[in-house]
Amino acid sequence: MTELTSLPQFPWLSLLVVLPLAGALLCLMHRKRPADCRALSLATSLAVFGVALYLFICHGQGEGRWLLYEDVSWIERYGARYVLALDGIALLMVLLTSFMQVSAVLLAWRVERHVSSFFALLLLLEAGLMGIFLAYDLVLFYLFWEVALIPMFFLISVWGGANRRQAALKFFLYTLVGSFFMLIAIIALYQIHGAQSGVYSFVIGDLLQTQLTAAQEGWLFAGFMAAFIVKSPLVPFHTWLTDALTESPAAGSLDLTGLLLKTGIYGLIRVAFPLFPNATESFLPILAVFALVGLFHAAWSAYHQDDIKRLLAYSSISHLGLVVLGLAAWQLTAWEGSILLMVTHGITTGALFVLVALIQERTGTRSMKELGGLWGQTPCLGFLFLLFSLASLGLPGLANFAGEILVLLGTFQQHPFWAVIALLGVVFAAAYMLRLVQGVLWGPVYKERSLPDLTLREWIILLPMAILVVWMGVYPEPFLAPMHGTVASLLAGGLP
Amino acid sequence: MSLLDLLALLPVLILVFAATTILMVGAWYKEPRPLIAGGILTALLAALAAGMVAPPVSEIAGLFSAGGYARFFTILWSLLAAAGLMLGGRFVEDKKIGAGEYVSLLLYGAAGMALLSSATHLLGLFLALETFTLVFYILIACNRDCEFAAEAGLKYLLMGAVATGFMAFGIALIYASTGSLALPDAVTQLTTVSGELHAWGLLGWGMILIAVGFKISLAPFHLWTPDVYQGAPAPVAALLATGSKGAVVAALVGMLAVSGPIWRDLVDLIWLLAALTMLVGAFSALAQKNLKRLLAYSSVTHMGTLLVGLLCQTSEGLAATTFYVVVYVVASFGAFAVIASLADKRGEPMSFDDLRGLGYRHPLRCAVLVLLLLSLAGLPGTAGFMAKFTIFHAALQSGYIALVVIGVFASVVSFAFYLRVAMLLFQSDKPASTWHVGSPLEHAVLAVCSSAVLVLGLFPGVLFDLIGRLLP
Repeated sequence: MTELTSLPQFPWLSLLVVLPLAGALLCLMHRKRPADCRALSLATSLAVFGVALYLFICHGQGEGRWLLYEDVSWIERYGARYVLALDGIALLMVLLTSFMQVSAVLLAWRVERHVSSFFALLLLLEAGLMGIFLAYDLVLFYLFWEVALIPMFFLISVWGGANRRQAALKFFLYTLVGSFFMLIAIIALYQIHGAQSGVYSFVIGDLLQTQLTAAQEGWLFAGFMAAFIVKSPLVPFHTWLTDALTESPAAGSLDLTGLLLKTGIYGLIRVAFPLFPNATESFLPILAVFALVGLFHAAWSAYHQDDIKRLLAYSSISHLGLVVLGLAAWQLTAWEGSILLMVTHGITTGALFVLVALIQERTGTRSMKELGGLWGQTPCLGFLFLLFSLASLGLPGLANFAGEILVLLGTFQQHPFWAVIALLGVVFAAAYMLRLVQGVLWGPVYKERSLPDLTLREWIILLPMAILVVWMGVYPEPFLAPMHGTVASLLAGGLP
Repeated sequence: MSLLDLLALLPVLILVFAATTILMVGAWYKEPRPLIAGGILTALLAALAAGMVAPPVSEIAGLFSAGGYARFFTILWSLLAAAGLMLGGRFVEDKKIGAGEYVSLLLYGAAGMALLSSATHLLGLFLALETFTLVFYILIACNRDCEFAAEAGLKYLLMGAVATGFMAFGIALIYASTGSLALPDAVTQLTTVSGELHAWGLLGWGMILIAVGFKISLAPFHLWTPDVYQGAPAPVAALLATGSKGAVVAALVGMLAVSGPIWRDLVDLIWLLAALTMLVGAFSALAQKNLKRLLAYSSVTHMGTLLVGLLCQTSEGLAATTFYVVVYVVASFGAFAVIASLADKRGEPMSFDDLRGLGYRHPLRCAVLVLLLLSLAGLPGTAGFMAKFTIFHAALQSGYIALVVIGVFASVVSFAFYLRVAMLLFQSDKPASTWHVGSPLEHAVLAVCSSAVLVLGLFPGVLFDLIGRLLP
């Protein structure tokens, strides 16, 4: 723990949570005026992005464990506090969230049904995500963790595709079951800690000092892992994701894949690993097995999909397998790679989901059988599709490559065997991504139809993403710099 | 009974006297609105009296407590009666039911609940319980247009009679074995007697438990619940689901707090009841196609969860139970209030067909309903989460790990059925028909319930501290 400045500072972190909440409320108040709602949510998400950028630029290089820390008394009787804490990793996630949110709002611009509710839910989701990334008290963390589910649930169940209700319920119940195990573990850990020290507290920083027996640690760790593994998702527990991603409306898929999936892995890094270092140590090989199995299984499944949205869903799971592998390697380079990959995957796959939505808007289908030859019909869209596909398969010079290579390098230093297997998986990624590109862009034109190319709004969504993808591929250092210290201290705090 | 006792009894006296007056006046004066307004004012006045007038004695006639805990629940049930009257106004007018009778019955009911929550003597418990049960016998069947109402009334009457029998017999057995009906003597004496007498005493407590099981619908004594809720008019069902159950639980909490662990020898039995109730309620609710029946089964699961809190028998557990009662009452009452506010000449929208797509016709009230249902499910950020959290917390502290796991599992299942309703409301396949816009009073009730759910969910500390101070 570091000493914290007691000077009252402007609550920037709370602002990140409150701004979207306020935006959501305002949207609901302007139910009769959809145009206002759109403008309002765009303004809100831009403002949040502005705050995140400000934090990145002005507070990104701080010393010590925390860049910013807010601590207010909340439920005194139970020792739950309102603690928001920003470190290097959280900073990246906050930045990613606010950036993706702007894209999501722009993408949802043409939603026609129940506009105000749609945008309100989108903003509520952002508030929940910000909370998850910032909360440093377990009750608060759990609160945001669950609150983020509700907007996603409604986004899928009301605005989704044909099987939306089933997918929404599946999504909710899967993640709920996992998180209830976490809830039990949270309460148990709290009581063990309270009985030991006499101080009852839910603040993670306090709970770190708890002395646990091996059995206790194992059980509690399992409780937390249940939540995080389902949310990540690692392979036997991934079926909710493919349905949810496929049925979700475009903006929802973007948030789901770009952000909500990251919360599981983020929970591992921020909560589970630091709290239970010994259990983590013995679990890492198993985690690696989970990761590798997921990497291959998902890649294999992706290769056999016809629905391009489903294909991308599996590709997400495959990528996340690699991210988890990097964490399991427990090595500085691998960790930095994992976190970077998390961010770049959010952007590249997010962009691909945007493009799929645009293609579906134009052609009315997502089946590769009914697509093909788009390169000639819509060259700009085709070019961006190719760019993000190549980025996604890890072409050197584009975003994912930087993360992947770091993960593989780091893993190789610790466990060469894992890295070799993982490398094969990356080749698999090339296979299914190329199949995707071939099915959508090239090949014979499925049907002569006049398809409009990208509009200005669509350019505005995709161009920043494209720039970022190139930038992060060529020069990822600015994004790696803030997390050096955090990752190092997390690794040091974990294994001896 | 001295004058001081009467002063301590002031809130209940206000309720009873006003109820009698309104009943008399209602016989000649048929205009419903002033009568209902009078009833609401009376209930609020009683709540005010309970809150402002400090009782000069701590116990009334050896039967009822006048402590802070009892007054807290007197306030709660009075406010609930006021809310029940706010909801019932339109129903009474539409169905041409005697307003005087309706108002006075509700006020009598509130008095009964208030007395029950403050009982410190088994006889007081019995009397108070019968007072409001009698009221509900009439209220449930009061809608003569509804085909289910008479059936519901009869069912409640029969079940109530059985429960009364068990209760009376149990009390008699306890008296036979301990020679006392006052708490905590009736409990402490039981630990000193041995042999056959001890067994009789335990049997007596077991019978009281069965009677309680009927009243708060613990599985397997819950079968009347869905039918009765379906048949009873929504304003009455709202009270039945919340006040009548909450008062019994509050009485149990009060008894446990005064007399220590009553149930040491019955722990296994209660454990089983709690587990069974949570599971049966949750799974039965999954199969429902009617919102009122669903809420009935939801109340069954909640009672199971409350039993977990009671089982702990620690101050932590009792405080958690009390908090849970308040939160459950607010959310469940609000859910019924939404139904009541939508009801019109055709009846109440409660079948899933009526609810389909209703969220687009009546967005605000359906959003409130979703919020309340999510609170009942225990979503973090709503009061329901804090309530479940404290109960599970207390149970883990007392070492009931398996029960907590069962409870959590039941919660997951309950999310499934609450969410199904939420999805149904915002399903847009076919347009729903339009229902009543709701009166301002009904909207006020909904506003209070939904804001209470949010405020208690985000800032539960105030109520926690209050309850911690009040528990005897």
